[in-house]
Amino acid sequence: MSSTPASSPTRSAAIASARGLVKTYGKGTTAVHALAGVDVDFARGQFTAIMGPSGSGKSTLMHCMAGLDTPTEGTVVVDDLTVSTMNQRQLTKLRRTQLGFIFQSFNLVPTLTALENITLPLDIARRPVDRAHLAAVVKAVGLADRLKHRPSELSGGQQQRVACARALVSKPSVVFADEPTGNLDSVSSREVLTFLRSSVDELDQSVVMVTHDPVAASYAHRVLFLADGLIVAELTEPTPDSVLEVLGSLTRQKASA
Amino acid sequence: MLRVALRNVRAHLVRLGLSILAVVLGVSFVAGTFALREMLSTTFDGIVDAGYVGDVYLRGTEDSSAMVQTGSSAGAVRNTIPADLADVATGVDGVDLALADFTGPIVLVGADGTAVTGAGAPSFAVAYSEADPTSEISQGAAPTDATQFALEVASAESAGLSIGDSTTLVIGGELHEATLTGLIDMGASMAGATIVFLDEATAAATYAPDGLVATISVFGDGSTSDQVLTERVRDAVEAAGSATPVEAVSGTDMREEARSDIETMLGFVETFLLIFAGISLFVGAFIISNTFAMTVRQRQREFALLRAVGASPLQVFSSILVQAAVVGALGGALGIAGGLGLVTALKSMFAAMGMDLAGDIPITTSIVVISLVLGVVVSVVSAAVPARRAALVPPVEAMREDSPAPAGSLRVRGIIGVVFAGAGAGAVVAAVVQAAADDSASTGGLLGLGAVAVVIGALVLAPVLARPVLTVLSAPFVAWAKPLGKLAQGNVTRNPRRTASTASALMIGMCLVGAASVLAASTQASMRSVVENESLADLVIQSASGMVPSGAVSDIAALPEVGVADAVTLDSFFVSEASATEEPAMLYALGSSPSTFGRTWQTTTVEGDLATLADGSIAVQEKTATAENWGIGDVLTVSSQRGTVTAPIGAIFSSAALDTPLVMADTSFDQLSVAPADQVTILLVKGADGVSVQELKSAVTAAAAPYVIVSVQDNEEFVSGLASQVDQMLTILYALLGLSIVIAILGIINTLALSVIERTREIGLMRAVGLGRAQLATTIAIESVLTAVFGTVLGLVVGVALAAGIPTVFSSSGLTDLVIPWGSLVTMLVIAVVVGVLAAGWPAIRAARLPVLEAVTVD
Repeated sequence: MSSTPASSPTRSAAIASARGLVKTYGKGTTAVHALAGVDVDFARGQFTAIMGPSGSGKSTLMHCMAGLDTPTEGTVVVDDLTVSTMNQRQLTKLRRTQLGFIFQSFNLVPTLTALENITLPLDIARRPVDRAHLAAVVKAVGLADRLKHRPSELSGGQQQRVACARALVSKPSVVFADEPTGNLDSVSSREVLTFLRSSVDELDQSVVMVTHDPVAASYAHRVLFLADGLIVAELTEPTPDSVLEVLGSLTRQKASA
Repeated sequence: MLRVALRNVRAHLVRLGLSILAVVLGVSFVAGTFALREMLSTTFDGIVDAGYVGDVYLRGTEDSSAMVQTGSSAGAVRNTIPADLADVATGVDGVDLALADFTGPIVLVGADGTAVTGAGAPSFAVAYSEADPTSEISQGAAPTDATQFALEVASAESAGLSIGDSTTLVIGGELHEATLTGLIDMGASMAGATIVFLDEATAAATYAPDGLVATISVFGDGSTSDQVLTERVRDAVEAAGSATPVEAVSGTDMREEARSDIETMLGFVETFLLIFAGISLFVGAFIISNTFAMTVRQRQREFALLRAVGASPLQVFSSILVQAAVVGALGGALGIAGGLGLVTALKSMFAAMGMDLAGDIPITTSIVVISLVLGVVVSVVSAAVPARRAALVPPVEAMREDSPAPAGSLRVRGIIGVVFAGAGAGAVVAAVVQAAADDSASTGGLLGLGAVAVVIGALVLAPVLARPVLTVLSAPFVAWAKPLGKLAQGNVTRNPRRTASTASALMIGMCLVGAASVLAASTQASMRSVVENESLADLVIQSASGMVPSGAVSDIAALPEVGVADAVTLDSFFVSEASATEEPAMLYALGSSPSTFGRTWQTTTVEGDLATLADGSIAVQEKTATAENWGIGDVLTVSSQRGTVTAPIGAIFSSAALDTPLVMADTSFDQLSVAPADQVTILLVKGADGVSVQELKSAVTAAAAPYVIVSVQDNEEFVSGLASQVDQMLTILYALLGLSIVIAILGIINTLALSVIERTREIGLMRAVGLGRAQLATTIAIESVLTAVFGTVLGLVVGVALAAGIPTVFSSSGLTDLVIPWGSLVTMLVIAVVVGVLAAGWPAIRAARLPVLEAVTVD
């Protein structure tokens, strides 16, 4: 997509990056380091998965990258914009124009139809809807005949596909997906993941996904592994088996430590 | 962690505070109503006891047919009785004293040169008698002749007069200079009435020139009961015979009668106030129910845990109810204080207007008990539903993410509402159609019943109407505030029951005000058109006391600037067809010079000719003629205790302004009228040739000035004077609207707060995809405005539609024009928008401050 905002000539190789990222909850002896100094780059036009056991800091990392949470230390840059120093107003604008979100559940506004949910970020930003792009996205998620339905009239998989379409329709720099298939059966999961992968391959989108499912992670170009607030391993061109293997070795390390 | 805890407590406090406030408002109104009622009862009982201390009273009889048929509700009319019956009564064994009550209207000019009038209370003179136990000179001396007078203590205070001061009295239409010689304490508050004591001779000459009085008070010597005494006096009077019918009643019965009249009147006031108390309690209950739904929702996990470790549903249920009972008791207690504060404010307001209410503000046990019980019952009952839900949810279910309980079908509600509204509308239409077909049909009751049914129907139907009406109302927001309007629309239509209940307080308030403003505008327009159509005079002269003093009439008529001055007087007589055998009816009649018609006043003559008045004929109002089946040439017998006139009907007229059944020439009228000393009701003045209205007005005003109470108005002022009376009535309704607005704001705040909590996830999601804080706040404000406007529109539509039927039904009472005051209605809508915006403030700020991450990850 040559028309995406990310195609400015001065663009850096990473669409989003963090340096020395620390997030601490609590104070003194009870302090918990969710992130203990993370340096990471998410490549432009790639599908990156973040994995790790519960409490490893993977969700915190994504929330800090997406400006939903403020890091205790360190900087976050998304598409050459320094997120970590932004105020609320700038963050709102960032979320509205540069970022796409897909959550695990409750992704849609129940009072709006599927189509209204998809165009919600554009409507909020009062930006015109790119009809051709919208049609392309809707076609890609396969929801052309479901646009007039309300979320309550859609299956879980359909709801998540609407959420994907909504995340992509504003042509964001990055799409952050937080366990997007956590509540779905395997068939629906496959549809959603295939779509996310194809949005990267065909629409030149950058996607960052948090997941604990090795199969889901295997749809990514690259998998980052977190443990105790640090990036401890990395895989490119993963398969479910290779992901499981890394996870297994991480667990063994932890058990022996 | 501490901060989170504190924040929780604070949020909790505000919400519980809202519930308590809701109870306080409702209970305040109930407690205030009862306390006010109690106080008014005490005051009027005091007046009755102080005014009727006699053991036996003699008075005229009340003819069963002697109810005034039309015009103002004069109620029962009694004939007067000869004053010298007092001598007969005095001679009865066991009677100490009998006094004829020489009493009548008077005008007292206060120290500031204006007439003394206390908050619409009457001003009257009574004869001072040394023997009269009701009035004892507390200071100074009794009046001995026409140049002296005494005053009731409170009257002297409000007049600003002290012993030795000279002032002007208008007695029997004549100006008198007199000196205040004494003060009289009647031992009770007179509720603002101005009471002047004259010497007996002056009072008798003025108020009983023909020797007739309304009542005679008989005082026993204490040797026997008033019942026995009454029998004796009755026998004595019957034996002596009387020119007019007389009845004797015991003092006990007399006081009882007076009290029950007052109680009936106070009962109306009480019912009216209690209706509003009911509305505020209903909305209060709704607020409490909402609040507990919120708390229960937030504590769902806690309850689930309790249940999981073995608490029974009953334990969970009662733990919530105990909280509700505390809220209710607290609100009830504060409500008592609020109610008493309300009454204190009212009391000082009345006092400022010159009406002293007796006694302290009563805190009776029954008021305290009723208030507390009401507070507790209302909150416990309204908390019961959410508490039950909390108690019955299976622990596993509650641990899971919650989804709002599915709303039941609105079908049954719709059917009930349609039945009510349909029956009501049918009754209203029937009343209007019947009234339109037959002028004399009395369909007011049917209309009232229908109106109540329509309002109930509308309340029941409101949730059913909410979705379609709100969809229409929100259309401009959806079109102009994308996508916020659409979001707000979705939110208000999501739970139509809740939106409708939230809007109900405004709906009822606006319904009342809408109906009242249509009635007021119609009344004012009707008055205007009546006066413009019928008055040919340049000036209309009236008196604050209802009677223009005869001195003023002759002074004005004598002015060179005045061309014609036509005096019009009102009185009531017994009237029957000369040939008929049935009981005569008591009807109002108007007396005036025959030349008044066509000169200073014009009316539509339906049949015959008003000029025949000059020949002694009588003119009859069309509706009376129809009702009595009278026609031109029928001979009527008109009688009073002063005499009888027999005359043919010479004209049948139709006039909305002259709302009297009969019009007679002054020559015949004066043979019958007992109106004191030839005072007139209205004086119509036309200027002499070449005199402008301004010149005429200033001359007449100067001539009328000494009489203090006489007002001189041109037609325009006359109409606006009438109109401003109507506006005063509206003020009371606006005050009640104010109350319903306060309640409505509380209700909307509460509902919005609840829905913000319920929608935390959704709000987090929208913020995550880029919704700004201002946009979120705007969405909530639009929701709030839509709710308020919904209630207002529904209320106004119902109110205006009902009121539109009223002029047809009451057209025979002079309500001829239907005017819909669009300006006022638009103002109401603007008020609704303001209410909506005000109510949205706190919930909107709360929602905007929700941290995005917490909101989106909340469970």
